[in-house]
Amino acid sequence: MKKLQITTTLIAMIIAIGFSPEITGQSLSGKQIIEKVYNRPAGDDQTSDLTMTLINKSGDQRVRKIKQFTKDLGDLEKSIMFFLSPADVKNTSFMSWTYDSDQSDDQWIYLPALKKTKRISSDSKSDYFMGSDFTYDDLGDRKLEDDTHKLLREETMDGKECYVVESLSKDEDYMYSKTVVWVNKSNFIGVQKEFYDEDEDLLKVLAIKEVEEISGIWVITNSEMKNVQKNHRTTMVLNNIQINTGMSESKFSERMMMRGM
Amino acid sequence: MLLIAGQYTKAQNLDISGFARSYEGVLFNTGDFGIVQQTLNLNFEKRGNKVAFKANPMMYLYNADSLDFRMRELYLDLYFDNFDIRIGKQQVVWGKADGVFITDIVSPLNLTEFLLPDFDEIRTGVIAAKVNYYFGNSTFETILIPVFIPTERPPPGSIWYIQPDFPVTPTWDFSKETITPSLESSEIFLKYTALTSAIDFEFMGAYTWDDNPTLHVQKEFGVDSSTMQPILTGLNITPEHHRLAIGGGSFSSEIKGVILRGEAAYYNGKYFLTEDPLQPDGNIQKDYFHYLVGVDFNLGPVKLSSQFIQQTILSYDDYIVNDKIENTMTFLARYDMFRETLHLELFSYIGLTNEDALIRPKITYDFDDSFSILLGSNIFVGDEKGRFGQYGDNSMAYLKLKYNF
Repeated sequence: MKKLQITTTLIAMIIAIGFSPEITGQSLSGKQIIEKVYNRPAGDDQTSDLTMTLINKSGDQRVRKIKQFTKDLGDLEKSIMFFLSPADVKNTSFMSWTYDSDQSDDQWIYLPALKKTKRISSDSKSDYFMGSDFTYDDLGDRKLEDDTHKLLREETMDGKECYVVESLSKDEDYMYSKTVVWVNKSNFIGVQKEFYDEDEDLLKVLAIKEVEEISGIWVITNSEMKNVQKNHRTTMVLNNIQINTGMSESKFSERMMMRGM
Repeated sequence: MLLIAGQYTKAQNLDISGFARSYEGVLFNTGDFGIVQQTLNLNFEKRGNKVAFKANPMMYLYNADSLDFRMRELYLDLYFDNFDIRIGKQQVVWGKADGVFITDIVSPLNLTEFLLPDFDEIRTGVIAAKVNYYFGNSTFETILIPVFIPTERPPPGSIWYIQPDFPVTPTWDFSKETITPSLESSEIFLKYTALTSAIDFEFMGAYTWDDNPTLHVQKEFGVDSSTMQPILTGLNITPEHHRLAIGGGSFSSEIKGVILRGEAAYYNGKYFLTEDPLQPDGNIQKDYFHYLVGVDFNLGPVKLSSQFIQQTILSYDDYIVNDKIENTMTFLARYDMFRETLHLELFSYIGLTNEDALIRPKITYDFDDSFSILLGSNIFVGDEKGRFGQYGDNSMAYLKLKYNF
């Protein structure tokens, strides 16, 4: 079954948190490590409140609040987000259907001022989400075969024994020349991830600050993405997380986009 | 119904939001302030699981003391398992077109400032009962409008008012312009919508009134005493709205990262002005076809959109005042910078038939999440007989300060 992501939502795939697959003791390849990270159990549906704080180099803050719902339907995952603040985007909603196959995502946005649901292009992965330091690609569902994975080394990070895996995109036009992720050996949860720009200079660093076990599922509840070149950052905090509530598929419809939560 | 609303929503808080906006525009030609407008928009909403309520009063203060109060929306929602009902004054938006009104004909337009207001402000709310029935990813929508509201036109004295060109001063008879609300005079709109993975589409039908009145003309003739030839001595003009039957549809789909959109409507029996001497009141009924195709795509970080629109009068004859075919294009480019705090945008209507255009560049800076400043321009160019070129003297630069709450 397809892994459930929180953010088309969230960062679940950025360093996709892994949940304690058995530790074999055998040496793993880079691909096997990332596969374990990606294929973690994540429940059939999730609900959460997301607070995203954009912090510039002067320390000024802008806050975005979102209510989000996600449901795993096997080879299809549906998610819907309702924007709560700031005021100028309030009641805007965004719906995404993501497929396990190579089919492009389907995405729609409802703009309350225009009272219209618009299909939007999924070909905007490099755009930054709501002005944050997360691109849509960072937040979306990356497939194992999209990259070539190489185990660089094993080392300790923040007191955790980690695998360090480098991933190179097979797509030459991909926005990052490479990414490097530190994966906790004990539970295959990501600890940190670095993103390198087209000149192979370090661009961004994602740090996972908190993870919580909710209904038997490990979820990243606090993370920070920092743009080290421009010295601004974005924090993401999840609250009121509910998993496996038996959410109806009808939640993911134009009706709900227009009506709201 | 209000009692039911109170029952279900009393435990919830009233949500208040909106904006305050200052909007000033200076005409290039004269340096006069063409627009001095202060706006307060308030949204009162109360949402429950079964019932919701919304009131949206808007106040426009023009110049120093001319206050225009409008209740843009005031409605009640009732939610059931498979259908919703909305009753009251509401704005309804249909179709896939941007800035063009083809199947989007439920809410009439407020054209007192031409096409310049934001598109959410250019529509007028209608008093209606709307029922949406849902099945799968489809929706069947039925709207009954008992009170007809026509297109709102700029009044004489407005810079957007175009003085009709008559050979003699006409006499106006407005006795037939108003439509008395009744079941018989109600408008009915139907729409089927499907939102699927491959394509979104809509089919619509309407039995409505033409939002623009037909100007029925009676001519009076005398005899020129010197030449003994008949001459036009008077015009009696009677504006009257007529029934229209309209059918159409729209679609939207993504092909390799490009959004392809289309929309079309067929108008049965629309009136057009004619110079045919055999038409006694200066009008003739013809069927009319209006369609659009458009694309949305990204070029790097720049979002682009373009639409081609064609209006065709069927069974055309050369006496009809309007062109047989009128072609228009729209073009939109948008670029967001500095973590979406600075927005550059260029939107244009381009009249291909009359070789005229409205060009609208603007730059918006968000000081914070509440306060933004917008500097823009509306530039009318081209043939003075064209839809856009006729406003050549109204080209302007403008400033909008907006506070959202």
